[in-house]
Amino acid sequence: MLVINLQPYSSPSYFILLLLALLPIIIGLYHGKRLKVYETIFTLVFLLLTFGGDKWEQGVTLIGYIIYQLLLTMIYAHYRGKTGRANKTHVFVIAVILAIIPLAIVKATPAFAHGITVGFLGISYLTFKTVQVIMELRDGTIKDLDWKLYLHFLLFFPTISSGPIDRYRRFKDDYDNIPDRSAYIEDLKKAVHYLFQGFLYKYILGYIFGTVLLPQLSHLAMQQRGAFGGLGLSWPLIGYMYDYSLYLFFDFAGYSVFAIGISYFMGIHTPINFNRPFQAHNIKDFWNRWHMTLSFWFRDFIFMRFTFWIMKKRWIKNRVRISQLAYLVNFLIMGFWHGLTWYYIVYGLFHAFAIIINDIWLRFKKKHQDKIPSNTFTKYLSIFITFNVVCFSFLIFSGFLDKLWFH
Amino acid sequence: MTNGKKLWQIFGPVLIAIVAALVIFLIPWQGLTPNKHAVKKAAVSMSTNVYRGEQIKDIALKENYVPFIGSSELSRMDPLHPSVLAEKYQRDYQTLLLGGPGSQSLNHFFTLQEMKPAIRNKKVVFIISPQWFTKGGQRPDAFGYYYSPLQAIDWVLNAKDSVATRYAARRLLAMPSGQASPMITSAIEKIAAGQKISGLDRIWLSGRQRILRNEDAFFSSIRLDNNLQKIVKAGKQLPATDNDRELMQLATKLGQENTTNNQFGIKNSFYNQRLRGKAVKNLANSQSHIDYRRSPEYGDFQLVLQQFAAENVDVQFVLPPINQKWTNYTGLSMPMWRETTAKIKKQLTSQGFNHIIDLSADGNQDYYMEDTIHLGWRGWLRMDESVKPFLTEKQQKPTYHINNYYFTKTWERSLN
Repeated sequence: MLVINLQPYSSPSYFILLLLALLPIIIGLYHGKRLKVYETIFTLVFLLLTFGGDKWEQGVTLIGYIIYQLLLTMIYAHYRGKTGRANKTHVFVIAVILAIIPLAIVKATPAFAHGITVGFLGISYLTFKTVQVIMELRDGTIKDLDWKLYLHFLLFFPTISSGPIDRYRRFKDDYDNIPDRSAYIEDLKKAVHYLFQGFLYKYILGYIFGTVLLPQLSHLAMQQRGAFGGLGLSWPLIGYMYDYSLYLFFDFAGYSVFAIGISYFMGIHTPINFNRPFQAHNIKDFWNRWHMTLSFWFRDFIFMRFTFWIMKKRWIKNRVRISQLAYLVNFLIMGFWHGLTWYYIVYGLFHAFAIIINDIWLRFKKKHQDKIPSNTFTKYLSIFITFNVVCFSFLIFSGFLDKLWFH
Repeated sequence: MTNGKKLWQIFGPVLIAIVAALVIFLIPWQGLTPNKHAVKKAAVSMSTNVYRGEQIKDIALKENYVPFIGSSELSRMDPLHPSVLAEKYQRDYQTLLLGGPGSQSLNHFFTLQEMKPAIRNKKVVFIISPQWFTKGGQRPDAFGYYYSPLQAIDWVLNAKDSVATRYAARRLLAMPSGQASPMITSAIEKIAAGQKISGLDRIWLSGRQRILRNEDAFFSSIRLDNNLQKIVKAGKQLPATDNDRELMQLATKLGQENTTNNQFGIKNSFYNQRLRGKAVKNLANSQSHIDYRRSPEYGDFQLVLQQFAAENVDVQFVLPPINQKWTNYTGLSMPMWRETTAKIKKQLTSQGFNHIIDLSADGNQDYYMEDTIHLGWRGWLRMDESVKPFLTEKQQKPTYHINNYYFTKTWERSLN
């Protein structure tokens, strides 16, 4: 028997299959109807294609995980909804910890036991969605949680493996409110645009930077690993740094616009993930433009929560210190989330310090507005500096230094 | 604007793009053939595009090119390299270099699939590397580098059930490359089980073959390594006429001049780049455990042999030497080396492959080797002494008797 396994957005045949399968949904929405049963079957079939075949172990884990998270969230929703008043902090903390545990296990396992594979493609993104819903249940911004819609939200096919990370309430609005015909035609227009932007990004630019140039630069840089007393600093390494950064952007941004494009076909306006990040003029600005749904998630559910918590407990009075600590915690957690290796954690710390320094500079600049020039030149200079700082952070992130120095 | 018109504005360009892509990739572009100079350049480029592709090999075989199949030694392009000699003296044959670092028998078997039927009744020079015959045999990543789906499809579509065919299918399935495309994998699985592929498989594979052939025709001759320039330049050092004595003098002179900075007779530049300092110290006695006598490579090699026999190809094999000053230093076992070459020769001669240039005992000859394991200067020339008459004179028709015993584990493990 032919066992098919198709990785999302990976080949022309995948897109052809996907668009054919979407056709009934598109025709339905065009006529103002959401084919809910068909959408469910469609989702299941494509999940089977992604997690079937030799990836079946991932599929089994996914099912187990989804049942677990669904039960957990529904129990917590039930607890909150019973009187609307039950809102004990420890119950909330336990719920969040329980939601994060599977991800933590998956992230920690490779560090301790090589070769054991647990987890599945996309577990992080599902965890983000679950935690978000639990937190909003606590806040009362989500009052009643429909388990079927919640399941649909979790398993929303276009974004399941790598985001963008949508929010439950936003998703629900789109799902319940079918766009009128002219709005849907606009959606279709955007969908096609995103899809082709993705082709350009992932299959042309990402291919050039990733498949063509990256291995050559890597090879050249490795040949000079003895340079600078073993630090391996060389021109090819600098080339690798820029090339990897561009590759990372075009590959990931390409992937994201595919997901957004497919969502638009389904009448769901999944939020954008990248907004010209390399034109950012400082690090803070960069994080408002790079992997936006992740960084906004961290902002809302880690940075802000942490800040309020410290303020409420009055452990630190100085607001500047609080935000600096919050940045550190925020980016350190992001580093750990990427994986338990030194370079992800250093990457997190690097960004924490970059944004703290950036903050100090911005305050200094505000105080001395009259003396510090601000013109076209300084604007481009700031973009240039930010771009280089970011590229350097991606060199850390790439793990190439680990290969260069220790292997 | 009506909604229909809006929809057309959105999806019209997409449909046109899809149709255009199908037209470009599914029409047989037979008129699109590279010119003579492009083929000449491609033949010595050692580019993977050429090795993995079909068209250039096919055109070259129809002209006077002879495949020189081997691995990394082909890239040692000093003035006595076979390609330089053939080009400089405008011999009746020109070289089509197939292979590179890491390519072994299994790759060669699949690249041969794309040369049928043009290779039938032709001559081939095949340089064996005993270094292929390691305990693990073909490395999967290196295999993937030289493998192309076009090779596999060309093979699958013509495969007839036999011991060799099933063996090849099993070997391909054991490589990650063989698992890369579900449709191709499923076809190979059928072949491994001795079944026929279905009509649907055949239609799909033929379509894919058409697309891959077009890609090959469009892209294979661009971005080739310009070895031709190197070869023409190297040829300028050669004497004006194809004279054995003068060539020998030159080879000796070049060997002397280029091996002055080490006691191993290794080319200075190679020694500086790869060995000088700590590297060479770490390599002392590092090879005493190496054993080439038992290896899955023997079965893979048999695959190539049976393919040559099936196409009635007359093959000149070359068993190269190994730098003895070097092996004395690294501790590679000489009895093991002799048993390895004897085993390979037995596999050849017992099946009727009798053209063998056996240099395996010549590792102590001056300037035979350019570095540790690769032929150079006088070694190339010694090879040329036999290759030139083999290729330029008429040879007796070979008669082969293929023995499937050489596919077995027993032979893989046997010492003689």
